[in-house]
Amino acid sequence: MEQLPQQLINGIWQGAALALFAMGYTLVFGVLDIINLAHGATYMWGAFFAFVCITRLDWPLWAAIPAAMIGAGLLAVVLDRLAFKPLRTLTSGGLVLWVGFIVLLLGLIGAWSPGLKWTLTLSGAAIMLGGIVQDYAAIRPLRVRHVPHLAPMISSIGASIILISLAQGIFGAQVSRFPPDIFPSKPYTLPGNAVIAPIQLLVLGIALALMVVLHLLIARTQMGRAIRGIAWSERTARLLGINVDLVVAQTFFLSGALAGAAGVLLGLAFNRLDPFMGNEVELAGLTVIIVGGMGSIGGAAVAAFLVGMLRVLSVGYIDSSFRDAFVFALLILVLLVRPSGIFGRGSSVRA
Amino acid sequence: MKARFLMVFVILALLMAGCGAGETPTGGGAAAPTNTTAAGGGAAEPTAQPGGSGLSGEISIGAVWSLSGAAAIYGPSQKNAAELAVEEINNSGMLGDAKIRLITEDDRSTKEGAIAAFEKLINQDQVVAILGPTLSNSAKAADPIAQEKGIVVLGVSNTASGITEIGNFIFRDSLPESDVIPNTIRVTKEALGYQKVAVMYGEDDAFTKSGYDVFKQALEDNGIEILTTETFAKGDVDFSAQLTKIKGLNPDAIVVSALAEEAANIMVQARQLGIPETVRFIGGNGFNSPKLAQIAGPAAEGAISGAAWFIGNDTPGNKAFVEAYRAKYGSDPDQFAAQAYAGVYILANAIKNAGSKDPQAIRDAMAQIKDLPTVLGTFSFNENRDPVHEPVVQVVRNGKFEVFTGNE
Repeated sequence: MEQLPQQLINGIWQGAALALFAMGYTLVFGVLDIINLAHGATYMWGAFFAFVCITRLDWPLWAAIPAAMIGAGLLAVVLDRLAFKPLRTLTSGGLVLWVGFIVLLLGLIGAWSPGLKWTLTLSGAAIMLGGIVQDYAAIRPLRVRHVPHLAPMISSIGASIILISLAQGIFGAQVSRFPPDIFPSKPYTLPGNAVIAPIQLLVLGIALALMVVLHLLIARTQMGRAIRGIAWSERTARLLGINVDLVVAQTFFLSGALAGAAGVLLGLAFNRLDPFMGNEVELAGLTVIIVGGMGSIGGAAVAAFLVGMLRVLSVGYIDSSFRDAFVFALLILVLLVRPSGIFGRGSSVRA
Repeated sequence: MKARFLMVFVILALLMAGCGAGETPTGGGAAAPTNTTAAGGGAAEPTAQPGGSGLSGEISIGAVWSLSGAAAIYGPSQKNAAELAVEEINNSGMLGDAKIRLITEDDRSTKEGAIAAFEKLINQDQVVAILGPTLSNSAKAADPIAQEKGIVVLGVSNTASGITEIGNFIFRDSLPESDVIPNTIRVTKEALGYQKVAVMYGEDDAFTKSGYDVFKQALEDNGIEILTTETFAKGDVDFSAQLTKIKGLNPDAIVVSALAEEAANIMVQARQLGIPETVRFIGGNGFNSPKLAQIAGPAAEGAISGAAWFIGNDTPGNKAFVEAYRAKYGSDPDQFAAQAYAGVYILANAIKNAGSKDPQAIRDAMAQIKDLPTVLGTFSFNENRDPVHEPVVQVVRNGKFEVFTGNE
């Protein structure tokens, strides 16, 4: 029993880390009924945005974290335009955006001379920007589609592969690290002979703060009302004059920013960044949002702590080889007994 | 309806995650280049007798390294070292009028890449022998091609079991873990006198798992009690739950079978959780990267590992090799470099002794290599074409590997 205080802290900390990732994940599902499997890739890119800010631009940490959140948020917005929006309504701007994206990719991955490389990359980015503006301004779409649920998910898998490959091309497959001592590492000792590192406290604090902020945003603001309106019925929201495209973009931005924050903080905590860091957390995150109730932000937070605690205690008191077995047993149990999740309220009142 | 969608989502997502995890190139596992031992005889080869062998013209040797992809941290130093050795041999006139032409291919850390590289080297370039490939996984896929065509393969970083069993043309100069680890345990137990240990290993990786099997056997053979065995998976970053449990059991040492990245994180988190520095970490080949100490910093101090080569080795030509490598590439050679360097010299010696470019004659000369001075030590092949030389035990001191002497 002597290890119990430390294990509880380990569990709370793992839960906070998971909650940070899962909140943005569940938000997009709540609004759009999309499982965005590129969320893990956005998380990874958030970590690398901060990495570039700190190691190449010499920014201080406090500036790099918001920069990474904004960068990851914008990335998520572009992702929506590229991978999800064309499945809902296809506009000419969407096609322009795709052309720009392909030019950008060619610029980034091709073996060009530096001058041509930059020309391609920048003109690709400019065309994409034009595409987004045109897409946004489009009054009459080329086609309104009613695609099956699986289509956006498959699309997000593709987006995820592209984002991971890009990161691999730019940063390499090996592990990148923040400079040591960027954050104090001397742990605090707590009663019960348990220790907690400053970064763990920071993650816990930020996770709790973001949960409250997100809750207030959804429950109390005009934007939150619009988000909930779209979650209820996109068509009704449109009829009521809500700018659905804008709200969807805002939702993706929020989701991406949360993923970015998670990426930086967990990247810092373990000081280990690689293009595949999103894959592991994605699976745990999916478990969390299903157990918590798809689309329920509070549910995701509670489920994250539940999953974190379950993992830690199964290692501490049973056998480390079974840590995931317990988590997935919980998942199956929830799906059998309460398929909408612990806090799910059926499909109509999410978010 | 809703529930059914969820089920489908979950199943698909699990499938996808499963596949994805298998591919993560975190540098791990099976692919891990594990080996370490080779030796080059390198600079210590003053006995070359120019013109003595009747060889002339160009002798093409292929080299297949992982220069991109998951194992790209290992391939480049192999490539550098092999090129250095070829340059030295060609300048020394060791092969008489003949010069070695080294043809390097990148297998992109994949089996398919290794197979394609072998096909090209054998059919198009008509090489007499092939060095590599970097990964044991790739070797198992590609070596049979060379065996079938009767071309000598010298693996310089394959440490998994079952490599040389592929056939009589397949050699390696990299000591398997099953030779290195028991030596490490025996030497360190004598010096440190530990009685009870905790064990941690990566359970989803062929390399770390087989390292664990060897450790377990060696610990039992030496009468050391295993208090607990904890596992983790590729890509895990948080080991605090396992380490908290280990801390509660008060082991004398912690045995870790993991690759450098994971091992470093384990060390950092263990010290952070308050596991005292007197509890040493003992590991296998996975520790043997300068990255370990770079990443783990002070937490790596005192970590012990078995290796096939060590930068401060007092082996023939080692000092000259290290200096030449530094001068040419501006960095310290690692074990992979040393094994590749030794591999080129072993091959060159076999060609010299055979006095012919005939692959069969070279094969027979390879099998006869005995007590050859190399940077790995005095080197021989055993009857299974596996390497025989003395492994070393090293310890991290002030951020660098030093030979473990026991008196500390």
